[in-house]
Amino acid sequence: MELGTFGAILKFALELEERAAAFYEAGARGRLAEDFAELARGSRKRHRRLEQARRELVNEMILESITGLEGEAYTVDLDATVDEAERLRQAERLEETAARFYRDAAAKMPIREIVRLFERLARENDRRRARLP
Amino acid sequence: MEYGTLKNYVNGEWVPSQSGDLLEVRNPATGELVARVPLSTEDEVNRAVAAAKAAFQEWRETPPMVRARYMFRLKALMEERFEDLARTIVQEHGKILDEARGEVRRAIENVEAAAGIPSLMMGYNAEDIAVGIDEECIRQPIGVFAAIAPFNFPAMVPFWFLPYAVATGNTYIVKPSEVCPVSQNRLFELLDEADFPPGVVNLVNGAKGVVDVLLAHPDVAGVSFVGSTPVAKYIYATAAAHGKRAQCQAGAKNCLVVMPDAVLDRTVPNILSSAFGTAGQRCLAGALVLAVGEVYEPLKAQLVEGASRIKLGYGLEEGVQMGPVVSRKAKERILGYIEKGLEEGAELILDGRNVRVEGYPNGHFVGPTIFDRVRPEMTIAREEIFGPVLGIIPVADFDEALAIIEGLPYGNASSIFTTSGKWAREFKYRVRTGNVGVNIGIAAPVATFPFGGMKDSFFGDLHGQGRDAIRFFTDCKIVITRWF
Repeated sequence: MELGTFGAILKFALELEERAAAFYEAGARGRLAEDFAELARGSRKRHRRLEQARRELVNEMILESITGLEGEAYTVDLDATVDEAERLRQAERLEETAARFYRDAAAKMPIREIVRLFERLARENDRRRARLP
Repeated sequence: MEYGTLKNYVNGEWVPSQSGDLLEVRNPATGELVARVPLSTEDEVNRAVAAAKAAFQEWRETPPMVRARYMFRLKALMEERFEDLARTIVQEHGKILDEARGEVRRAIENVEAAAGIPSLMMGYNAEDIAVGIDEECIRQPIGVFAAIAPFNFPAMVPFWFLPYAVATGNTYIVKPSEVCPVSQNRLFELLDEADFPPGVVNLVNGAKGVVDVLLAHPDVAGVSFVGSTPVAKYIYATAAAHGKRAQCQAGAKNCLVVMPDAVLDRTVPNILSSAFGTAGQRCLAGALVLAVGEVYEPLKAQLVEGASRIKLGYGLEEGVQMGPVVSRKAKERILGYIEKGLEEGAELILDGRNVRVEGYPNGHFVGPTIFDRVRPEMTIAREEIFGPVLGIIPVADFDEALAIIEGLPYGNASSIFTTSGKWAREFKYRVRTGNVGVNIGIAAPVATFPFGGMKDSFFGDLHGQGRDAIRFFTDCKIVITRWF
């Protein structure tokens, strides 16, 4: 699925954070309970920031076409019912893929504030990945 | 979603119209019924004016800081319902979701700007204009004002006027577009929720009949209008004949001058979104590209290539880049202009006439259309098409480009794409359009600036938005004082 507009990219980002939050919430058990709960809270907060950006940072530049971003390249399969080791592997893939998405998308976005936001989110993903047990 | 038969909002109440005349509002992409809008009666308009007049004295005595707080409340409500409002705009107008979000954002910005009224409407004074005599200018509200809204920005345009009018102490009536009335009606749900005193803000649905009553009514102090030039002239003349203030933003034929030193890979996307955004149904849309010298061939090729990739569809689907035009009638008119262009000898290098959008057989879609070798005397170069049709005129030099712009009856907007400060300065100095872009395809003023316009693109002295709005909605009373 080509992410060819500002709106499509923001929607993808919102869905990514929503899926991440749901995965971490569902997977927050056993030794991963505390870490995953914190990651879930973080994802919910990131979702709110993206929604606010979609509302507040719109101007004429958002109507320009965007090329070269395919949603499939940034989709991760998530299943919170699996064992702890697999959940951790999925979390790593999720954070790594999200960071890559935000960096690639930042390079395409026409609004500076969104570029900064995406770059910040990518750096956060790096930190979240580094803190995984 | 279907919104039923719309009601009027008068004196703080939603009131069904007694008119048996109803127009259907249909989704331009799907053909589905969105709402029915009544053509309100003269009596209903008169009642709205009476309510606004009755509310005026108490509202005008309300301290500006208190009036400003209503704006903060309204802003919060609009933010809360942001997505919902945007989706409503898509359903009634056809523009894409990103465009609708931009529209809601611009409406909110006017509310935010109007919240500054306590400072913005301050007057000024001087002591001792003669010994012991002081003079002051006091800005005072005037009474009842009205807005006659266009279809293309059905939520935003009334908000170029209403927040300033009301924050400065006037009372207000909006006549939404009868083609796209729903989003404005939904905004009035928020105005109702913001709990303005009854009569301060009113809405009367309808068409020319309502407009004529407002124009002639002795208790309406001024009108604001956005629409076509013929109607703007009529409204301006009629309002003036009845002693009213008027500000009438009218039609356009905006030129985008591309110099040989333009940065093409940034210029082309700008031009494409200018020409084809909102399917070309904007008074700021780029209509003619004046390609200077050797930039013509590469520019033409890139414009065609970019425009042919624009994805048409239903605006509620993310990823769609252009929606339908607003109605079948609009589509027929645009197709008529394309035929005219062919008749007059322009070269059709991208044909948007027979597009089909899968899943939307009832949609009024016209694809991006580009004419080459347009000549300034052609109909498609002189008349406002208000659709996704772009004309390319190759010109020898900067002066020829300026002469073409000067020769047009309109003066709404123009842009230059260049890396030269000299050409940019020359352009903004000499061009006679009210809104000017330098490497900007849509020179849309933000809320704190007036929305410019010259020649047949604007009738009046004071524009919407910004400081002009404060002056339009207030009178300056001069008081000279001496004490014995």
